[in-house]
Amino acid sequence: MATLRVTLRVILRSMWRRAGGRYSLIVLGLWVLVSLVSLVWTPYSLLATDGFHVWSKPSAAHPLGTDGVGADVLSWLMAGSRTNLIIAALSVIVAAAFGLLLVAAMVSRHGALSAVSVVLVDALISVPTVLVALILCVPFGASAAVIVAACGFAYGLNLARILRPSAMLAARSAYVQSALHSGMPAARVFLTHIVPNTLPVLVVQLSMSAGTSILAEAGLTYLGIGVGAGVPSWGHSLATSVKFVGIYPLTVLWPGLVVTAVVVALNLLGDALRDAADPLANPALRGGQDER
Amino acid sequence: MSVEIRNLNITIGSKPIVHDIDMDIADGERVGLVGSSGSGKSMIAKALMGLLPANASADGSVRAGGAQLIGANDTDMADLRGRYMGMVFQNPAAALNPVTTVAQQVELPLRLHYDLSAPERQERVKTMLSKVGLPESALGKYPHELSGGQAQRVGIATALITSPRLIIADEPTTALDAITQRQIVDLLTSLVDDAGASMLFITHDFAVLARATTRCYVLEDGAMVESGATADLLDHPHTEQARKLVAAARELTLHRQEAEVHHG
Repeated sequence: MATLRVTLRVILRSMWRRAGGRYSLIVLGLWVLVSLVSLVWTPYSLLATDGFHVWSKPSAAHPLGTDGVGADVLSWLMAGSRTNLIIAALSVIVAAAFGLLLVAAMVSRHGALSAVSVVLVDALISVPTVLVALILCVPFGASAAVIVAACGFAYGLNLARILRPSAMLAARSAYVQSALHSGMPAARVFLTHIVPNTLPVLVVQLSMSAGTSILAEAGLTYLGIGVGAGVPSWGHSLATSVKFVGIYPLTVLWPGLVVTAVVVALNLLGDALRDAADPLANPALRGGQDER
Repeated sequence: MSVEIRNLNITIGSKPIVHDIDMDIADGERVGLVGSSGSGKSMIAKALMGLLPANASADGSVRAGGAQLIGANDTDMADLRGRYMGMVFQNPAAALNPVTTVAQQVELPLRLHYDLSAPERQERVKTMLSKVGLPESALGKYPHELSGGQAQRVGIATALITSPRLIIADEPTTALDAITQRQIVDLLTSLVDDAGASMLFITHDFAVLARATTRCYVLEDGAMVESGATADLLDHPHTEQARKLVAAARELTLHRQEAEVHHG
């Protein structure tokens, strides 16, 4: 346990040393912090509207101005951050679980299973995320769960496709043979010997999926198949104001800036994490440096 | 652990790989298996471990310590592997998981087969490392930080940590230089003898064979062509195939010795 904590500290410190890593840690830290704060406090209640001050410019009372019903833009963005955080986190978890399950089938020693799963992934990967969301919307209605399911499905397939070569390389390696020779069950070999050796690809792909899920949320909410009406999200803030972008560009600018900053941070996070968490790339992770 | 192989046939698809193999390893005996590349040596080892490729089929009888291994179920085989049988691999660097440390690598069979506390496991790993001649500082190292010889020492430690009764060494020295080869073979044989375990030593290098084994089998094109005491076989090979192998090995060994002399 203690060694795990040391390893985590080393990884965080290595990420902090890179400009990209530092930027992503700061932005993502702020994101989590604001999400937590928004649970107990926002400058205005989300339901507070001010009919006399709609589309107002930034002021001391409303630092980012107000929207079309006179609600505080900052409050809605703060509250939206927690929705997006949950959607991004759940999408990544679903995508990872689904994708790794597919990879396990693809690298399995049973020829039929691996052949079928490869064909299945290739076929399903051609279905667009929007179409999946639209289909799911029919029985379940528009909700954050639909976004998570559609993103998890699509990103899981992408993950499986991209992870397969490196997983295959690990699965055919002598160290996997060696683990099997030690009497380790195949499922455990997959989790402890194959998945960790695809980590550089896995980490980058998952962090990009988290970023893409935010863009997907914005897009799907704009189409009316994302989060329900009245649920705060960055996509919601964008969708309600984008019609008036020619007249009140600032109300579109704020959610747009937030989405851009966070998506860039997530993409950089993957790169930084890959470089920092790989013992081959990061000398600080290695033990016993006293020799050689 | 004694091994008794009778009429072993292995086919991949419809292609026969080895046929009608009879082979015995007595308790505590070190037996060699030689043959040129592609003669089916490794397939016999895989059959012993119950890890033949999915498209291969085996019939005949393979008994280890009295238990029949042909047709044994996966759970029984998994329990046997690592606990009663240990395997040392040809390419030590490739046989170690690049993202686990030496300590994690060596303790893996212990974790799988024995119910020990973490400190007890660590203690055993430390003892094992000193037995194979690695310093304690190696514990936290990753495979890419080790030399070939060091990596093979880790491989031997992993194979022997559970005190298995049978060691299968599949060309454990092929990827190493001549001096390291000698050290590794001596280490392996002394550890196997200390533990009183049996060993099946697979190689195509006769110089190593004489050091590691007392008796050996010669395999050619999937058939056993000759067997006997290693020293006799090296001096008077009876069959044409064995003669060729010995002659080739002699030449190779001579070349190597010359090269060593030239390079100092």
